[in-house]
Amino acid sequence: MTDTGTRIPAVRTRAASPGAAAVRPSARERGTRLLAALFLAPTVVGIVVFTVVPIVGSVVLSLFHWNVIDAPGFAGTANYREIFSDSTVLVSFRNTLVFMVFAVAAQLLIALGLALTLNGRMPAWLRSVFRSAFFFPLVLSAASISVVMKYLFNQDFGVVNWLIGLFGLAPVPWLTSEHGAMATVVIVYVWQQFGFSFLLFVGGLNNIPKEIHEAAALDGATGLRKHLAVTLPLLSPTLLVASVVGIINALQVFEQPYVLTDGGPGDSTRTVVMVIYEKAFEQLRFGEASAVGVLLFVLIMAVTALQFRLSRRFVHYQ
Amino acid sequence: MSQPTLTLSRARHSLGPWARIAGLTVCALLTLGPVVWTVSTSLRTPAESFELPPQIIPVHPSTAAYHGVFEQIDVWLLALNSTLVTALVALGQMVTAGLAGYAFARLDFRFKKPLFGLVLATMMVPLQVTIVPVFLVLKSTGLTDTLLGLIVPAFPTAFGTFLMRQYFLGMPKDLGEAAMLDGAGPWRIFRSVYAPLARPGLAIVGVLAFNYHWNEFFRPLILETSGQNYTLPLGLVSLQGNLGTGSISVVLAGVVLSMIPAVAVFVVGQRPLREGITSAGVNR
Amino acid sequence: MTDSLLSRRALLRYGAYGAGAAALAGTAASWDRLTGADIPGRDDGSLVVATLGSAFAPAGVRALVDGFRRLHPDIKVRINAVQAVDWSDFFAKILTQIAAGTAPDLVYVATEGVQLFARHLGVPLDRWVRRDAAELKEYFADVHPSLVESMMYEGSLYQLPIEFNAADMYLNTRVLRRAGADFPAADWTRDDFTALLRRMKKASDSHFTPYFWTNRLWGGVVPWLFANGTNLLAESKAPGGSWLWDSFYPADRRRGRGGGFRWTTPQATDDRVVEAYDYLASLVHDGLCTRPEGGNGQNLIGVFSTGRVGVTPAGGFWAGGLHLAGMRADGFDVQYFPRRHTQRHQFGAAGYALLRTSKKQDEAWEFIKYSARRETLGELFTTNQTTPARRSMLTTARYRETGPAHWRVFYDTLDRFPDTGPIPAPPQVAEVTQVLLKHTGTALASPGAVGPALRRMQGDLEKAMERDV
Repeated sequence: MTDTGTRIPAVRTRAASPGAAAVRPSARERGTRLLAALFLAPTVVGIVVFTVVPIVGSVVLSLFHWNVIDAPGFAGTANYREIFSDSTVLVSFRNTLVFMVFAVAAQLLIALGLALTLNGRMPAWLRSVFRSAFFFPLVLSAASISVVMKYLFNQDFGVVNWLIGLFGLAPVPWLTSEHGAMATVVIVYVWQQFGFSFLLFVGGLNNIPKEIHEAAALDGATGLRKHLAVTLPLLSPTLLVASVVGIINALQVFEQPYVLTDGGPGDSTRTVVMVIYEKAFEQLRFGEASAVGVLLFVLIMAVTALQFRLSRRFVHYQ
Repeated sequence: MSQPTLTLSRARHSLGPWARIAGLTVCALLTLGPVVWTVSTSLRTPAESFELPPQIIPVHPSTAAYHGVFEQIDVWLLALNSTLVTALVALGQMVTAGLAGYAFARLDFRFKKPLFGLVLATMMVPLQVTIVPVFLVLKSTGLTDTLLGLIVPAFPTAFGTFLMRQYFLGMPKDLGEAAMLDGAGPWRIFRSVYAPLARPGLAIVGVLAFNYHWNEFFRPLILETSGQNYTLPLGLVSLQGNLGTGSISVVLAGVVLSMIPAVAVFVVGQRPLREGITSAGVNR
Repeated sequence: MTDSLLSRRALLRYGAYGAGAAALAGTAASWDRLTGADIPGRDDGSLVVATLGSAFAPAGVRALVDGFRRLHPDIKVRINAVQAVDWSDFFAKILTQIAAGTAPDLVYVATEGVQLFARHLGVPLDRWVRRDAAELKEYFADVHPSLVESMMYEGSLYQLPIEFNAADMYLNTRVLRRAGADFPAADWTRDDFTALLRRMKKASDSHFTPYFWTNRLWGGVVPWLFANGTNLLAESKAPGGSWLWDSFYPADRRRGRGGGFRWTTPQATDDRVVEAYDYLASLVHDGLCTRPEGGNGQNLIGVFSTGRVGVTPAGGFWAGGLHLAGMRADGFDVQYFPRRHTQRHQFGAAGYALLRTSKKQDEAWEFIKYSARRETLGELFTTNQTTPARRSMLTTARYRETGPAHWRVFYDTLDRFPDTGPIPAPPQVAEVTQVLLKHTGTALASPGAVGPALRRMQGDLEKAMERDV
C-alpha cells in the first residue's frame, strides 16, 4: 500500500497523478482508516466474539432463572430483587470495596516507597537484584502461592506467628478471626501484586528529567517536601495507570480468599467474584450469578470513570 | 540513572545509603521468604515441613518429591501443552496489542474513543461470569477440548492494547511527521519508523501474557476435557491427592518445577521489560 | 540514516523474520497437538466417564480403562479425569458440559452430590440391579447396607458405592506416650476425650495444640452433632427400597433400612446442637483445640505428623496420607469417635452416577458393575488414600506398610454402629454447606458468639431449604 497524497501542500508527492489533486486529502485519510481497520480487526473481532457476546449473554441471563439443567425461565427483575435482599451479596460488595481500598493503597504506597528508595545511590548490580526480588512474586501462580501462604499464616504452627513470637508478641489468629482473615488476604495479595506498580514507578522516576530535581534542590526543597512538591506531580500519570489497573484487578480478587479462607470466618472475606462463582457453580443459580456479575461490572466502570474524572484535576502531564 | 538521585540522597542524609540498603534488603527478604520456604520444603519430607524455627537449608535434603512429581504426572506432555499455549498466546497478544495499540495511539478514525473504551471495559469483566457463554461460543466453532480453544480467545488483550497505546504515544511525534514529509504513507510510517521502536513495549506484553497464561487454572479446567490437553497447573492438582492427602512436598515440588520457565522468561525478558515499563506508565 | 543503524535494523528485521518463521514452523509441526487431532478415539462415540482427577492416581485411571477393555472389548471407553481442586471446581466443569450438551455418561459423585444428581440428572439403577441380581449378590454381600442406603434417593438406588470414609479419631502415638496416656478404649466418652486433651496439653510445650480440625461438612462439626444424637437438619428415611433390601440382605441386616435419607427441617438452635457448639467453643477457650480453618485440610497432615497435634478426626484416607508424609506405621493409630449420647458416626461415600442424557445407558451400567468389582478396586485403591467399600478388601496385608494398628476400626465403624449414616446432603447441599461453614466459623471465632451465630444459621438454613434447586 503506497500513499499518493498528503494534507501538507508544500510537500511533493512521489506519485502525483493528474486527477489526484481533488481527492488527495481523503485518499490519505482513507489509507489511514483502512490501516486502522486492519490493525484493529484482530482485537475488536476477538473481543466481540469472546467477550462482548458472552457479556450480552450474561446480561440476558440475569433476567432468567437458569440452573443449567432445565430450560431457562424468564424472571424479569426477580434476580436483581433477590440479590439486593441477600445479605451475603451485600456483604461481599462491602468486603470487596474494603479489600480494594486497603490492597490498592498498600500496593501503591509500598511500591512507591521502594521505588523512591531504590532510586537512591547504590551499585547498579544491587539495584538490579532488588528490582528482580520485588518483581519475583508476580511470576508465581496466585493459587499455588496461597496454598503456601496458608501454611505460613497458620495461627498455631505457622512461620509468621513464630517470627512475631521472636519479638515477644502473642500469636495472631490470621486466618480464623474476621479482621485477621481480611488482613491476611490483603497481605498475600499485596505481596504478590506490588511488584507491578513498583516497576511502573521505577519507570516513571527514570523518566523525570534530572534538571527538575536540580532546580528543586536549588530552590531549597529537601527530603519529603521535595517528593511531595516535585516528584509526585511528575509521577501522577504513572500513579493514575497504577491505580486504575490496581483497582480493576482488586475488585475481581478471587484466588487468594478462595484458597486462604474460603470466604470465612463468617462472610468476612467473601468477595463479589467468590459469590458469583458460588452462586453459579455451587448453587446452580446462574441467573443470580449473572446479575451479581452485571452489578460488579457497573461498579468497576463507575469507579474507573470516577478515577479518570478526578485525574483531570490531579494528574499533570509534562 | 543515578544522576538525579544524587541530590535526592543528599537531601535525605538522615537516612544514609547503608540504612537504605538495609531497609531494601529486609523488604527483599520478606518478598522472597515464602519462595525460599517453598523450595526448601519441596526438598524434605512433609513430616519436617512444620519445623520451627523453619529450616532454610534442609537437614536431610531429598529429591524424592521431584521424582514423585515425574512418577505421578506426565510432566513433559503437560509442559509441552503449557509451552504451546503460553508461547502462542504471548506471540498473538504481541501482534494484536501492537497493531491495535498503534491504531489507537497514532491513527485517526471514527469511533476511536468508544472503541478504546470498549477494549478497556473488557478488563472489567470477571472470567467467572462469562465462562459458560465462552464455552458455548467455542463449542459452536468446534474448539472446545483443543489447545487452540485456549489460545485463540486469549489473543485480544485489553491491558496489552492499553500498554502499547501508551507506549506508542510516548514516542516522539516528529519521527512520523518527518517520514510523512518524505512521502511515507501510514503503513510505511508504522513499518519503518514506529514498529522497530516498539520492541521493549512488546516485550512487556509478551512477558505479562506468559506469566498470566502459564499459571492459568480456571479456563483450562473448564475448556479442556481430555487428559492429553491438560496444562501444567491442571496436572499439578492431581498431586494434592484425595481429600488433600497428597504429600505437601510433592505438591510444592510441582509448584517449583512449574515456576522455572516463568522465572526463565522473566530473567530473559527483564531488560526489555524494564525499558518498556519505563515508558508505559508515563504518558497520556 | 547511518550504516550501523541500517545494519542493526536489518539484523532486527531478519531476527524478527526468523522468529516468525520459527513460530510458524512450530505451530505447523504441533498443529495436531493444538487441535487435539492426535488424541486417539476422541468424539468417536466412546462411553465417557468423568472422575475427580485428584481422587485416583493416573496409573490407577489407566488400569481402570485397560481392565474394562479386556472385559468389554466391544465398548469404547474414555476416562475424563477432571483436575479439580475441590468438589465445586469439579461441578463447574460438569455443569459447563451439561450446558453445552456434551455431558459425560457417568460422573463420579460423592455423598455431597448424590441427591442433587439423583434429583436432577441421574437415572435410577433399579432395573439393572434387578436384572443382574445374581451377578451382584457377591457385591452387596461384601458392602455394608449403610453405604448402599446412602446412595438411595426416594426409594431408588442411584450409585453403587465403591469407597467411603467415616470420621474416626486419629491419635499420634508419640504424643500419647509423652502424656503418659493409654490408647483410649473403643467405648470412650467425650469426657474421656476432654481429659486426654488436657493431659496432652500439660505434657507439651506452647507449639502444641491437642485437637485440630478443619471447618468442612465432612468431619467438621457434624461428627459432634451425631455423637450428640442430633443433626443439622431433621433426618428421616424415605419409604421404599425393600426391593433391594429383601433381595440382597438377610433380615437382621436390613432392619430399619428404607429408601434413602431425607434431610428437611433445619434445627441449628436445637439444644443438642447448641451443646455441641458450646463444647467446641470451650475447647477453643481452654486452648485444647485450634480455631477451625476452612479448606481441604492439607495443613493437617503436616501438623499431625510433626507431633504438634495429638488428635484429629479423619477416615481411612489418612492412613495413606500420613504414610506419604513420611510417618511410620506405628507413629499413629485410630480409634472410634468418642461417645456422648450415642456413638453414631458420620461418613461420606462415592460411586458412579449415570446421567439421564446418556445415550449409552446399558454400556454405562456395565462400567458401573465393572467399577465395583473387587479386582478393579484393588487396582484403583493401592495407596490407602481412601477406604474401599468392600469389607473383604480391608486386610492385614493392605495396612501392613502404612498402618494403623487398629485398621479394623475403619470398617467396624459401620458394623459396630449400624445407625452410622452419611453427612447431611439434601439436594440443596451447596448452600447448606456454605451456611454451615460460615456460621461455624463465626461461632468459634470469638467468645460468646455461639448463640447468635446459630440463630443466624437457623434462619439461613430455613431460607436455603425453602428453595427448590
